[in-house]
Amino acid sequence: MLGTFRGGIHPYYGKEFSKDCLIETMPAPQTVYIPLLQHAGKPCEPIVQVGDEVVRGQTIGKPVGNGAPIFASICGTVVAIESRPTATGRCQHIIINGNGKNDSIRLQPLDNPTPQEIDDRIAECGIVGMGGAGFPTASKLKPGGGIQRLIINGAECEPYITCDYRIMLEYTEKFIDGVRLMMRSCGANEGIIGVEDNKSDVIADLLAYVKEKNFTDIKVIGVATKYPQGSDKQLIYATTGLKIPKGVRSSSYGIAVNNVHTALDVYLAVKEGQPCYSRVMTVTGGGIANPKNLWVSSGTLYKDIIEYCGGINQNNPPVKIVNGGPMMGKTVMNEDCSCTKTTSCLLFLTKDQCSTATPTACISCASCAGVCPMHLMPMYIEECTLAGDYDGAEKYGANYCLECGCCAYVCPAHRQLVHSIRKAKSQLKAREKRNG
Amino acid sequence: MDDTLIISSSPHVSANNSTRKIMLDVIIAMIPAIIAATVIFGYLVLVNCVVCAAACYGFEMLYEVLFNKKRAKDCSANDFSSIVTGIMLALNLPTYVSIWGWNIKSNDAVVFSFDMILVCLLGSLFAIWIVKMLFGGIGKNFANPALAARIFLFLAFATAFKAVFATDTWGQNVTTGATWLMTDRLAPITKSDLIDMLLGTRGSVAVGETSMIALALGYIYLCVRKVIDWRLPAIVIVSTTLFCLVFDGLIENKLTGTALLYNMLAHVMSGGMVFGAIFMVTDYTTCPNTFWGKFIYAIGVGLITALIRIYGSYPEGVSFAILIMNIVTPLLDKYIVPRPFGYVKPKKKSPEAKKAEVK
Repeated sequence: MLGTFRGGIHPYYGKEFSKDCLIETMPAPQTVYIPLLQHAGKPCEPIVQVGDEVVRGQTIGKPVGNGAPIFASICGTVVAIESRPTATGRCQHIIINGNGKNDSIRLQPLDNPTPQEIDDRIAECGIVGMGGAGFPTASKLKPGGGIQRLIINGAECEPYITCDYRIMLEYTEKFIDGVRLMMRSCGANEGIIGVEDNKSDVIADLLAYVKEKNFTDIKVIGVATKYPQGSDKQLIYATTGLKIPKGVRSSSYGIAVNNVHTALDVYLAVKEGQPCYSRVMTVTGGGIANPKNLWVSSGTLYKDIIEYCGGINQNNPPVKIVNGGPMMGKTVMNEDCSCTKTTSCLLFLTKDQCSTATPTACISCASCAGVCPMHLMPMYIEECTLAGDYDGAEKYGANYCLECGCCAYVCPAHRQLVHSIRKAKSQLKAREKRNG
Repeated sequence: MDDTLIISSSPHVSANNSTRKIMLDVIIAMIPAIIAATVIFGYLVLVNCVVCAAACYGFEMLYEVLFNKKRAKDCSANDFSSIVTGIMLALNLPTYVSIWGWNIKSNDAVVFSFDMILVCLLGSLFAIWIVKMLFGGIGKNFANPALAARIFLFLAFATAFKAVFATDTWGQNVTTGATWLMTDRLAPITKSDLIDMLLGTRGSVAVGETSMIALALGYIYLCVRKVIDWRLPAIVIVSTTLFCLVFDGLIENKLTGTALLYNMLAHVMSGGMVFGAIFMVTDYTTCPNTFWGKFIYAIGVGLITALIRIYGSYPEGVSFAILIMNIVTPLLDKYIVPRPFGYVKPKKKSPEAKKAEVK
């Protein structure tokens, strides 16, 4: 019996575009535009000046408070530090013009590190939650934090994205070693890797490797293929049966959830001393000529990635460029944004792949309530929000919403339910701030 | 290509679904019932269906253009929900009535009924304008429009509807009017009666509710297409049956053995209960939105139906039962709200904290 949760949807998965593309390394572009905000929290402060020569792997941004440092992803000269639009807003960018050299700064690899050394190294190398949230990993894996179980989110439930799948398939050993390093850091005595059962080849590979090495503390668990299986609360419930209450961190239950790519980065940081300045991302969708899974240096413009992937599909050009997956990703205005540590996917949706229908009246079919993984009543929240009744929206649990998009996906009237709930959430947050 | 990029809130994909597709599914699910009714009662059924569907569609369009100042192509009528209402209404009426005497007869059989057309138009107007559009259109109506219109017509033209006893237009000796519930509930039921009820050849007041087999096909279609929750009609039918079994079979008539079983089956297959359970109880707008809300709603329909059938002065109670529960629905929706996943009770502020806030 596969672990799962109540609610959720089975969207068109679209994985076939990039599922079988081997991970390639994209050559570093001539110029990179490195955003100083690549994690959840405050933007970093630049510690280089215009005109400085930098080497790949050199720290160029220092975290403010709980954050993660930012590194140069190519060798060259800092030509400007300026505010530019990102996929999610605006922030300062450090612009580096490459000099063609291929040097890089690496830290000393650690052979047999203590938990504290691993945690320090994770912080030093600027590793954040690579699934998209960008929460600094070091604070999640602090030694002595009482973590007993480390769950690795290999569900990859977002349609189209295949980077975690390729990593687990191609870097099985590094990935599992990364998981073990993370377990050692936080003191977990059990590592659970949750993988959706549509990736049966990955499950078989991981199981074979774990068995071969006799890692008895690592469990590979197949979970039902259903969106949003990779949401942390849903994944914890599916793999362990625990319900994490709202507002409580999963660490209070002795659980830490991390992404597949994060585990790989931990391995690279500890065993190869490589700071986090590039990542594997999926470039996919019907609107791109050659879908690929790529190692991309952070700060690479979308434009350069499009060019490397053979350009726009001229027969069927994209109408939406999405940073992230089709369910939770954000559309971008143009191709002048750059990639960050958390850009897991660049999706080029064509007209027939994305929904552009105009909303009609709610017919009160309650489909949205049926698929909500948080068991909310999205149509009530929307009704309250549209009427300006944010108390009502809160009462119906607006703040529980994951914004996974299941409700809006199934809505036969194409109501923009998630958008309304987001509005309610931001209004509630603003009000709370006002009232102290 | 920059000027062609769309910026929008996630999600960017959606299920290939729309209100119109759902309504088309419901229309398809009613086709077996329409065919069965046409075979049993004659072509007048088709005439009524077309008149009601066209009238409902037209009235909704007219209302929106006149009062909401919409262009015809933007009207909500285009989602076909009014056509569903129309067909449902036609299936809930007899083939013809005699009120003003404008029926064309040939060899004592009515071949065309202007009276019925007028009744259909009036019912459609009531359903769409009074019950649906005045309350805000699709998704906002407090009662099922077709059901409310049926009750309106049955009350307004009570004598005429009761008088519908005649051979049908194809000359078979089938009555639209008397069901087992109306006439001979005390008479013993035989196996052939039950088979007649199953096939629908026994007749009924409303043409659509007669053939159980046709209705079952529609039910299966709706469940397979996931338009309705299969549990809701099932709960209605089971609860009605059990309540009728207790009230009628055990308490009132003290039946035993086969007689009790036949009585129970006759209750299931007579009257509009099955049609109501499949097509009217499951109406999205007027049924509760949560499972437990639906559960109470369905049990309520079953109980009220049984009470009206057995203790009330009307032979048939489903339409009233559904109407009453339609009105209870907002209340059920207000009080039955599911708990979110990982629910935490909101903290109540202590009196001291409140005082501190005021200062």
